[in-house]
Amino acid sequence: EFRFGPCRVENVILLELWEAFRAVKDSVQTQDNITSVRLLKPEVLHDVSDAESCYLVHSLLKFYLNTVFKNYHNKRVEFKILKSISTLANNFIVITSKLRPCVKNDMLSIYKSAHRRFLLFKRAFKQLDTEAALTKAFGEVDILLTWMEKFYHY
Amino acid sequence: PAVPCVSDGLPKPTNITFLSINMKNVLQWNPPEDLHGAEVTYTVQYFIYGQKKWLSTSGCRNISRTYCDLSAETSDYEHQYYAKVKAIWETNCSKWAETGRFYPFSETQIGPPQVALTTGENSISIVLTAPEKWKRHPKDNPVSMQQIYSNLKYNVSVYNNKSKKMWSQCVTNNTVVLTWLEPNTLYCVHVESFVPGHPRLALPSQKQCVSTWEDQTSALK
Repeated sequence: EFRFGPCRVENVILLELWEAFRAVKDSVQTQDNITSVRLLKPEVLHDVSDAESCYLVHSLLKFYLNTVFKNYHNKRVEFKILKSISTLANNFIVITSKLRPCVKNDMLSIYKSAHRRFLLFKRAFKQLDTEAALTKAFGEVDILLTWMEKFYHY
Repeated sequence: PAVPCVSDGLPKPTNITFLSINMKNVLQWNPPEDLHGAEVTYTVQYFIYGQKKWLSTSGCRNISRTYCDLSAETSDYEHQYYAKVKAIWETNCSKWAETGRFYPFSETQIGPPQVALTTGENSISIVLTAPEKWKRHPKDNPVSMQQIYSNLKYNVSVYNNKSKKMWSQCVTNNTVVLTWLEPNTLYCVHVESFVPGHPRLALPSQKQCVSTWEDQTSALK
């Protein structure tokens, strides 16, 4: 089960996500020629507190669903990439549907801290050409999964 | 300073990959094809994903071996890396041959634990010690792979030499006591470390065999 601070998500098999990404890792990352830019920089994901984690993972997964995976579908890509995206997207939908980030006032500063981190990522994404940004974001799913795994309890 | 060479005068090295076990990250490659007998040397560079420049490593410039230990250069395992190598022969050199993106944290193989066995009449006690992460200097304090992967588990396989039966069990603790065993029987044990959730190659420990004691009641007769 995932425990992002107060947010709990069950019935997501992390191995399935890893295998879906591993199947396309080399081909997607090879298409990313801008190796001097990393979207999920250490400043985005390092030392995220439990309390922040629910807000941040919610924002990141929503972005991947609504921007990265959605637009990838319009590109002409190999079937195995669409298959991988489908598995990742379905699991991300399950996770986001179960996340209930708290909206109380006393959590405002924590929400803002998480949002600053997300904006770092989003700004880096927007600074790139759209095609390149989509490819890079998809190629960094292993960084995202590695961070999410820190909140996974076996 | 590097002697200038005619680029693309040689075929590239092939099969360039990282072999990574317990964060010891060794770059390895095959010599370029069709250059039998030529005294080819190699130069390696590496790159940290998200940064700007390719970096040289003093230990792997104009070397004749076909591997280069980049453990120190890639020791921040939360970063991702690329490496590349080119072949040089006299005044000719190849283009660079480059790896894919290498992510030590999710790609390093976890070595087997140390396994200590102690026997009883109907039992075997197994004490496991997690493998150690690669160290820059032998005198450095050891870091257990368990400190890096807090969810590290073990797959313990036990083989009864008399019944020819094998069974396995997944354990989290470092001590396992096998009870209800047959007395005076040879059992062989090997153990793999693994991190749930990550598809990685498993590296089993050496098989160790011990015999349970003779049945004490029959021994007294």
